[in-house]
Amino acid sequence: MANEDNNNRNLGRNGKSSLGRRTFLGAAGAGAVTTTLAGCLGGVGGDDDDGIFKIGHLAPTGMAMGVGSERSAEIAVDEVGKVRDQEIELISENTETDPGGTSEIVERMIVEDNVDLLVGTFSSEVTQRITGTIADEDVPFIITGSADQSTMANTTGDDYEHNKNIFRTGPINSELQAEAMADYAEFLSDEHGWNTFGHLSEEAAWTKSFQELLPDELRSRGFDVPYDDTVSLSTDNYTSILDDLESEGVDAVLRFFASGGQGKLLKPWITNRYPFAVEGTHVASMNPEFWGQTEGICQYETTAQSGGGGVTDITDKTMDFVETYQDEYGDDGAPTKPMYMGFNTYDAIHFYSEVAEEAGTINYNDDLDDIVEAMHSVEYTGAAAEISLYGEDSDYPNDAKETRTDGKISNYPVTQWQPNEDDEGGHQELVYPAANSSGDHIAPPWM
Amino acid sequence: MLDQILSVLLLGAVVSAIYALVAIGFTMIFGVGGVLNLAHGGLIMFGAYAYVVLTSSSVVGAIAVPPAAGFVIAVIATALASYALYAGLVRYIEDNVVITFLSTVMVALLLTNLIHYRFGANPQGTPSVLSGSLHLEGFGTRIGYMYILGFVLSWITIGLLWYYVTQTDEGRSILATSMSERGAQLTGVNLLSVKSRTWLIAGAFAGIAGVILGTVEPTTPQMWLNPLANAFIIVVIGGIGSIKGSVVAAYLIGYLQQFTTEFIGQGYVGIPSLIVLVAVLLLLPEGLYGREFAHE
Repeated sequence: MANEDNNNRNLGRNGKSSLGRRTFLGAAGAGAVTTTLAGCLGGVGGDDDDGIFKIGHLAPTGMAMGVGSERSAEIAVDEVGKVRDQEIELISENTETDPGGTSEIVERMIVEDNVDLLVGTFSSEVTQRITGTIADEDVPFIITGSADQSTMANTTGDDYEHNKNIFRTGPINSELQAEAMADYAEFLSDEHGWNTFGHLSEEAAWTKSFQELLPDELRSRGFDVPYDDTVSLSTDNYTSILDDLESEGVDAVLRFFASGGQGKLLKPWITNRYPFAVEGTHVASMNPEFWGQTEGICQYETTAQSGGGGVTDITDKTMDFVETYQDEYGDDGAPTKPMYMGFNTYDAIHFYSEVAEEAGTINYNDDLDDIVEAMHSVEYTGAAAEISLYGEDSDYPNDAKETRTDGKISNYPVTQWQPNEDDEGGHQELVYPAANSSGDHIAPPWM
Repeated sequence: MLDQILSVLLLGAVVSAIYALVAIGFTMIFGVGGVLNLAHGGLIMFGAYAYVVLTSSSVVGAIAVPPAAGFVIAVIATALASYALYAGLVRYIEDNVVITFLSTVMVALLLTNLIHYRFGANPQGTPSVLSGSLHLEGFGTRIGYMYILGFVLSWITIGLLWYYVTQTDEGRSILATSMSERGAQLTGVNLLSVKSRTWLIAGAFAGIAGVILGTVEPTTPQMWLNPLANAFIIVVIGGIGSIKGSVVAAYLIGYLQQFTTEFIGQGYVGIPSLIVLVAVLLLLPEGLYGREFAHE
């Protein structure tokens, strides 16, 4: 098929390309020379199809989260083998958490590498920076790390036609996560009789939904929320915050930390035995090595994470994937499990291979509508969850659908660090939802 | 309200004590050698990670030592690292202020990257020399024993330093050099020896601060940024080169930050310090205890 491999890019579409005139001229010139030489040499054929399906992987590979995602992408590529009879090439770049740098990486992947699919991005700020370029170029982009709801609201929610090549297969967006966290609070209330919650978010795009929705959602379910605050990423000293939480009499604080916090709340919490639980989402704590790294300061804290830390089956593929990961990379150092972005990246690549077959094309320049239609119609059982996407007319176009059990969101599982029975070290247990749990949620014994 | 005020008084005291440790080392090196040593922050981190390596079974399990021994060894290692920085680099370039300043920045960044490469960005926890805490219900707060130990150690080391620089010939030679390098030379002071001892002492202070900070908070590659920024503010307010000024300013800034946290909000914690800094720069450029005896 002509341009099946998306090498003839429509760079100047609508005159909105952010790649710049010089880049365009350079790329066009290089393309012309290459085409001429290819013609002289009898080359790869008139359709300019190199027969390789290229996946651009974007993640902070200086962090365990990014390493887990990169390795998971490699596993998925090996397992999928070919997409539409084309060999797959994975091009992985370290985005750090640098929006400007990632923007350059994305332009390079599109212009020089001619990627057919982009997956990844961890930081919401990074994701938001690159969606404009990606929307201009039509390259299918599946978000597998950042959860900020506004990323999709400002793209597919704002101008669907222009942004319809942007998708998220997991995690569920932050608005749904806020609702899921209220569901989890009900679980904690049922388990322990906790009815008073504090809310604490770091100042970041991905926590906006928690800040705006969660306290009222909790109150609407009959809980008290006497403490509700946001905290700067640079905060070092949490003692005053912990004192305030204690004086307000909370049973648990629901805190949402990714870049900030970094265990700075946990240390005084556990050292000083503050009489409330620490729940919510804490990215550092998703690292399977976190207990050892922190000498166990994470005991009894919980974090929500796609894939549930890879400690038990969520679908019939979960532990198979984890075992493959450990077989492949067990000797290569941390992280020893894929982490949530790894699960989502692995699932996204498998999902897209199904989409390509369903659509009968990977040529996004000519057949993007067919690809989008297939993205909406394919339902896929991944390692982290059952994956299907919201359609154009929904509240969350192209975003991952939540799954529900008895009306409660069930694809935002929660894990808890618990001490081992011999008191040597600790491990993660999946404690929520109950249908997937590997162990009971434990209240800190000093409460 | 009363419990909040008591909480500010208590937490302000322990936080300020750690700030003083950081600032004194920073100001001594400037006072004696005229070097703005931004690698001082890197040395704080070095001390914290040295303690992690020595005491944490998850890093190099075979060499895990008891926390108290780890504390002492980490402080000695940091002091030696500080001396090595002087003897191996700064000594040869200290006449050029700009080159020295930039070099210490580079050393700090290099240390950060090496730590990041070896340990990653995730926080490292450490076993405490003293575990547990006091619940002070009347104060409305809880305070870890490590904070209390930090407070006590801070005053012991400050007291020892004060005794050393005022009551011993070697110490007085440091004070003399900080007042006038030329004058000290004329009285037979060995400048190289004075500077070497100063870097050793400053390194030891950084090591103590690093271990305490690393045990009351998680140890991360960025852990030195805020303490160094605070030290910079403290040293300017206290008077660059003045040990007494650093101690006074450390408590001023520590209490100011604690007051802001308690009564205004955590998000505004850095602003009052900067306002005071600007006011001092405008009204009292030499700081509270500037180098009043210095002459060139």
